[in-house]
Amino acid sequence: MKRSIALVLLAGLVVSACGGAGLPGLGGGPKIGMVTDIGQLEDKSFNEFSWKGVQDGAKAVGGNATVVVTKDTADYAANIQSLVDQKFDVIVTVGFLIGSDTLKAAQANPNVQFFGIDQFVADPAPANYQGLLFAENQAGYLAGIVAANITKSNTIGAVGGVSAVPPVVAFIKGYEAGAKAEKPNIKVLVNYTEDFNAPDKGEASAKTMIGQGADVIFQVAGLTGAGALRAACNANVWGIGVDVDQYLSLPDAQKCIVTSAEKKLQVAANDAIKRWKDSGKQGGNFFNDAKNGGIAASPIRNISPVPAGLQAKLDKALADMKAGTLNPPSK
Amino acid sequence: MDVLLIPRLLIELVGYVLTVAPDILPIVLALATPLALGALCGVLNERSGVVNIGIEGIMLASAFTGYLTGFALHSTVGALPSLVLGVAVAVLTGAVLGLFHAWLCVSVRADQIIAGTILNIGAFGLTAYFNKLIITQSGLGGAGVLPGLRIAPEIAGLPLVGPIVTMFFQQGPIAMSVLFLVIVLQVLLFRSRWGLRTRAVGEHPKAADTVGIDVYRLRYLNVIAGCALAGLAGAYLTLESTGSFQNGMTGGRGFIALAAMIFGRWTPVGALGGALLFGTFTALGVIVSVRPAGGELGALLQGIPTFWYAALPYLVTIVILAGAVGRAIPPAADGIPYEKEARA
Repeated sequence: MKRSIALVLLAGLVVSACGGAGLPGLGGGPKIGMVTDIGQLEDKSFNEFSWKGVQDGAKAVGGNATVVVTKDTADYAANIQSLVDQKFDVIVTVGFLIGSDTLKAAQANPNVQFFGIDQFVADPAPANYQGLLFAENQAGYLAGIVAANITKSNTIGAVGGVSAVPPVVAFIKGYEAGAKAEKPNIKVLVNYTEDFNAPDKGEASAKTMIGQGADVIFQVAGLTGAGALRAACNANVWGIGVDVDQYLSLPDAQKCIVTSAEKKLQVAANDAIKRWKDSGKQGGNFFNDAKNGGIAASPIRNISPVPAGLQAKLDKALADMKAGTLNPPSK
Repeated sequence: MDVLLIPRLLIELVGYVLTVAPDILPIVLALATPLALGALCGVLNERSGVVNIGIEGIMLASAFTGYLTGFALHSTVGALPSLVLGVAVAVLTGAVLGLFHAWLCVSVRADQIIAGTILNIGAFGLTAYFNKLIITQSGLGGAGVLPGLRIAPEIAGLPLVGPIVTMFFQQGPIAMSVLFLVIVLQVLLFRSRWGLRTRAVGEHPKAADTVGIDVYRLRYLNVIAGCALAGLAGAYLTLESTGSFQNGMTGGRGFIALAAMIFGRWTPVGALGGALLFGTFTALGVIVSVRPAGGELGALLQGIPTFWYAALPYLVTIVILAGAVGRAIPPAADGIPYEKEARA
């Protein structure tokens, strides 16, 4: 009897520990590795699209790609080190939180190129560590334009995650600015839930905003935000996704997602690896913005016909941001 | 310093709470439902002498199986029937896991904390694994959510009464069932033969055994029934509240439910009170930024970082558990496996 309990326990542990490393690289060419943020690889968001970009990049430079999935923030350093030990040429780490461990690894291993997605590299920066940043304020601005053009109540909402994460704030500030540029007297309701993993809180926030008359809800809150989009769907109002085209990534809210404020993660990771191949070590920060196609508003869905002139307004804003004449606030 | 500042702020606060009450009340019950159901599970288990810290895992596993049922069947049998089936499957999952927990705790006499931990770890790993294997890979959505009742705007708009009516009745079926379940269990636990026996088994199983109560059978039964309620909580999360499954989506609710149970001193009504309190403070944190207050109070509230509002329900829980409710005494035989032939 004792043994069967032990077996059950073991089974539980084994299963929860699964989802570890991918296959080690085979064959020749540069070895490109990626360490994910906590969560799963197929998260339909950061990890998944960064990984696609890393795979694209590895293919483009004739190398091969490997991924290590992080289960806990405490494992960041060890996961990076495991790739260093296996003599990887390029290591891409995903997410704001893994930044400090990436910096340490870059300082200790000057011969390895590090790219950090969503990580700001401060001076003095190692020559072999480049932060891949996104102009979230620009993506948010585009989402704000869409929201202002589809609202009937002249009230829109945004549900944010943790307010200490700068990209979250940048998205929302951009969103407010975009909406106000379209309709100066529009009311923008904002709530930071301080939680990326509480769908019910996201739902409660969205419901309250809808109760206040909001008919478009923008989510910048991970799984909390998924709850907010569901609430929008249930109340028959519009939702706007974030980071990736959530019309595709969040099928449970598909029927009400109009667009998403997108960071082109796949493009950014792919381009970074190609830059490394073409011109050697990359340092400092690389900004993915309107100029290099690093941000976008996903195609307009669910609304037909698309409000007159909306696409033209989006194109104009994108062109102005490209030209540098339009700079939405980011905090 | 202005001596009238604090009284003035208090008056403004009361006024503010009254004005936002119509916004808060309808979301409180929704936030409290999984906690209340989880707490009921705890009450049933611990009243009969079995500690269950696996509520979190049971909720998560049931949330998954319920969602999976809706996900698999909604295109063939239609959304509503698949959702109803999903709820049934979730409750069944809870009951089966309850049977497992009871077997470990009652028959095997395993350490009950370890038994609960097995449920938590196992559920987290297995659901994430099957989620990856079946659901995320397909790129398809689930069956949606159970429809809620809509209160006529004439009633909902009534002053004072309207918000309270919407709080309890403009909800989905599971949220509304909570009130019913709480009252029924409260009456049964303290006014029925089953309730008396359950409490006897949880306080002094030897004495209960002596008068001919089958301790094992009753513990099995109550643990299974309680865990079925935790299963219903899981169904609520995926099939009534969010309409989607996410790894680890219970996010500690199973443990907050235990706090609500202790807050309510192991009574169903008290546990609901604890859950509602937690829900109220969570809702308050949301409302403060969505409907900002005006005047001096508004300036003060806006100045507080949003982290504090997010932490508020937890802080209140700590304060209340630490002092305000007084000494919480669990059932005497809580957590102790019963051995028929054991000495003393």
